[in-house]
Amino acid sequence: MGLELLARVRRTSLWVGGIAALVTATYAVPLHGLAVALGAAWSLVNLVLLERLIVALTGADRRTFSATGRAIAALGGILALFAAGWLLLLRFPAVPLMAGFAIPYTVMVLKAASLLVLPTQAWQRFTRTPWPAVAVVVVLAAGAWAVNNVWSGARSGGRETRVAATQESGTHGTEAAPTPAAGEGAAAKHGSEAKEVGPEKFANVITVLSRAFPQAPWAHFLHHYEVVIFSLFIALMLCVVAMIATRNPQMIPGPLQNGAEMVVERLYDFIVGILGPRHGPRHVPFLGTLFVYILAMNVFGLIPFMESPTSSLNVTVALALIVFLYSQYIGFRELGVLGWVDHMAGNPRSAIGWGLVPIMLPIHLMGELAKPISLACRLFGNIFGEDMLLVAFASLGITVLAFTHLPIGLPLQLPFLFLALLTSILQALVFTVLSTIYLLLMLPHDEHPHEGEAYAHAH
Amino acid sequence: MDFQAALALGLPLGIGIAAIGSGIGLGLIGQGAMTAIGRQPEATAKIQLAMIIIAALAEALTIYAFVTMFLLKGGIAG
Repeated sequence: MGLELLARVRRTSLWVGGIAALVTATYAVPLHGLAVALGAAWSLVNLVLLERLIVALTGADRRTFSATGRAIAALGGILALFAAGWLLLLRFPAVPLMAGFAIPYTVMVLKAASLLVLPTQAWQRFTRTPWPAVAVVVVLAAGAWAVNNVWSGARSGGRETRVAATQESGTHGTEAAPTPAAGEGAAAKHGSEAKEVGPEKFANVITVLSRAFPQAPWAHFLHHYEVVIFSLFIALMLCVVAMIATRNPQMIPGPLQNGAEMVVERLYDFIVGILGPRHGPRHVPFLGTLFVYILAMNVFGLIPFMESPTSSLNVTVALALIVFLYSQYIGFRELGVLGWVDHMAGNPRSAIGWGLVPIMLPIHLMGELAKPISLACRLFGNIFGEDMLLVAFASLGITVLAFTHLPIGLPLQLPFLFLALLTSILQALVFTVLSTIYLLLMLPHDEHPHEGEAYAHAH
Repeated sequence: MDFQAALALGLPLGIGIAAIGSGIGLGLIGQGAMTAIGRQPEATAKIQLAMIIIAALAEALTIYAFVTMFLLKGGIAG
């Protein structure tokens, strides 16, 4: 029990430490992130060595020679680790190092606390229905949002005063040539503002709101995160539809259940048809969700006052990265590390194959990296281009009727709405199919021995 | 010719050239797929799937030019 808990603590703190280091490196100083990672790694190694020492000293075979040897090795490791820690403390800032060092212990304490809390009556009553947990999450999120708003407001205020101070000192310093510099500054400011607005697009709910309340911080927040909000809203909508459709399954399905079953069945057949019956069914949930989600996001932009999140490169890159990480993970799990390297080297089995490894390996690695880029750019370019097309023709229709001075326009974009519908479906399909193909290329290739034989016989 | 004029000329031209290449490619893909379907109508589903994948790959090249145009468009205004 104890050792198993320790193993779980190790795994969890590895993840937590990695995430904390990444977050620190991204949002604070990169050196601090490195320090957090090193502190967590140091602490983990320390834990492992301590565990070995204790197991060697108190295990069943503690009198034997090998156990003594292991204990001495662990002691030596701990001494070397302390020397390494001393070097780290000299080299890196102490506070993030200590924070990283504390991560495994925090995880251990929390896990132990969860062991105490989980079997109690109160916790069981709390988790009987999901709603109390949902309420707690909502309250926490709202609180975090409020705190973040207050904090960022205070910080931006501070920054403004700082900027004003630097401007003052700047004008004091360069009094010799004030006017051209000021003009340039104003032009640069104007340019950056124009760039922030970005390309022309249809107004959606959030832009309307943020124009109605230009001063309100919540409107600014909404405008800043509109893509995230729209994509989360779509995800929520899909969740609700799926829940309603499957909440009360009938033998003779109603229309919604029938539709959901049809979609799932078609996607299942499609994906299993590509991946084969052995590997296919496990990946249907991921790839099918990808298709439905992307399709919903693409079509969402065609609803008036809505925007398709996939017309932002951020969303498509995130989707492509998820596919990339998933396929690499599946590759590592199915092939093993050595098998993955072998796969990347082009499965060399002959002298020619081994000779080609120096060429094949970089080509395959670059191909792996190019896949997510091409996925993201394709989806973004298609949806964004389709939206631009609609905007261009809508504004053309307004320009045509501009002489009437009435707030009307010819609906010239109407035929292109159908084109946009087609593109939306096609791009969702293409994204899913290409993800499936990338996954298929990762999976072991001993899929179709019969087809191969038939092929060999036919020739 | 300063670089802004060069950009303003080159970006639409770049998209056009990429579109010519993609168009030829898409035409060849479509021709091949249609011929194959005509010869073997029972394999329509498989052929269409492969056609869509390869068409997406061919079409992506124009999309790259399009994305490049949007990345570089800010340079025209200077």
